[in-house]
Amino acid sequence: MIELQNVTKIYPNGVRALNNVSLSVPRGDFVFLVGPSGAGKSTFLRLLFREELPTEGHVLVDGKDITEMSDSRVPFLRRNMGIVLQDFQLLQRRTVSENVAFGLRVLGTPDNVIQARVQEALEQVGLSHKRRMFPDELSGGEQQRVCIARALVNNPLILITDEPTGNLDPMISFEIMQLFLEINTRGTTIIMATHNHNLVNKLRKRVVALVEGRIIKDEPGGTYAYE
Amino acid sequence: MLSSLSFFFTEAVTNCRRAGMMTFVTVSTIAVTLLLMGTFLLAAVTTEGFLHRLQQEALVTAFLSPATPRDQVNALKLRLTQLDEVEQAEIVWPEAAMQELFTDSSDRELLQLGLGSESNPLPPTIRIKMRGSHDLQPLLAKLKGLSPIESVSYGEEAYRQFQGLSELLWLGSLLVIILLGLASLFIVYNTVRLTLYMRREEIIIMKLVGATNWFIRWPFVIEGFIQGIAGSLLAAVLLMLSYKFILARLAVLVPFFAIQVGFAHLLKLSVKLLMMGVVLGISGSLLSLRDLNSFSRESS
Repeated sequence: MIELQNVTKIYPNGVRALNNVSLSVPRGDFVFLVGPSGAGKSTFLRLLFREELPTEGHVLVDGKDITEMSDSRVPFLRRNMGIVLQDFQLLQRRTVSENVAFGLRVLGTPDNVIQARVQEALEQVGLSHKRRMFPDELSGGEQQRVCIARALVNNPLILITDEPTGNLDPMISFEIMQLFLEINTRGTTIIMATHNHNLVNKLRKRVVALVEGRIIKDEPGGTYAYE
Repeated sequence: MLSSLSFFFTEAVTNCRRAGMMTFVTVSTIAVTLLLMGTFLLAAVTTEGFLHRLQQEALVTAFLSPATPRDQVNALKLRLTQLDEVEQAEIVWPEAAMQELFTDSSDRELLQLGLGSESNPLPPTIRIKMRGSHDLQPLLAKLKGLSPIESVSYGEEAYRQFQGLSELLWLGSLLVIILLGLASLFIVYNTVRLTLYMRREEIIIMKLVGATNWFIRWPFVIEGFIQGIAGSLLAAVLLMLSYKFILARLAVLVPFFAIQVGFAHLLKLSVKLLMMGVVLGISGSLLSLRDLNSFSRESS
């Protein structure tokens, strides 16, 4: 499903974020990406949705080398992905349902289909009763759930998420994780960068640890520890 | 497709409303630019119209050789009246010309002293009135080739002056259109850039969920279209009103300049202004939307 082949990423300021990284993630896998701040986790994720290009090496998604892909094809790559980031990234002037509908609007989906799919996604994250509210009327956890609903509404093959529980309290973080597990059981591949020891240790999924741009651990059913 | 179209229009109208100040700046810039462009174009068209009327109403005088026999003069007159361009031709014999000269001239006594009663140096002339629908130049060319016509007069000086003014106005209009067009494009470009900057988060999110660059551009392009139409309509209305007012004042101040540009011309000019407004609005938007790839999470 996802394959990184000898990927190195050096930023123009000389920072080497990733150093000869190779990794293969099969369809339906759930991978925790752990490591200290500045280890290259976010760069790793950004390479997957072609927000960044590697300096060396190749990134393959669903068999296609996305490093060779033209810029005009990138939107179509992202339509098969759900992206959930730490800072919620919601449109503040739009209601919850408008935010979720956004992922379908870009596909030119008819209005009636949008309504049904948005309703379904909001039910999945338990927010259908708040669909007419604006983001600033919701709690942090609720806002993150709206982002998840937006990521889910396209039925993506891959869910990429960077610190989705970073701003949330432990109880809400756990609820959000339950949601991700549920999505994963339906066949969606999930790659999640996180600093949350407890969740990683509790869920016992595949753990890939990055330190100074190198993979130092790749352990199925692993724990957070990487030192 | 239909759903996307309605989404783009709703987005464009909502954005125009939300960024009220920016919309106002863009619309007024386009309106002022087009008003100035329109003023120059209208002045050029009006002068050209006046020039045309001057041509049509010109009374051409053909001077014949002094010794031309009367029957030859009569034959020439007959020939002239058969020309398409000529409405009327009238012979002025030397005696009549002399009489006119003496009646009109304030230097009558001086002239009588200089000219004996026997000698009359004035040549026979034919005064020609043109048909309204014809141009002056082809007729002049024909007349100059006819014998025994020696020279032709039609108030060249005044005509040339107006022709010069008309050419100057057209040139001025062209310059104004280019300079103001560029200035206005620059302002529209910058206001759209500002709007883009205000909405960068939205654009980044749109890109994250897989929106193509054109999907992001369309609402801005429609916004440019709406602003272009609004600005040019405003300019057209202001131009018509001020044109009516200025012509009314001119009719009082310079009666001989009482020339009107017809409704069809005004309508054509308004359509041109509308088109220019739309081009300005859309091209300003498109120019500022060239490098959408620079919008990424890093730039937020």
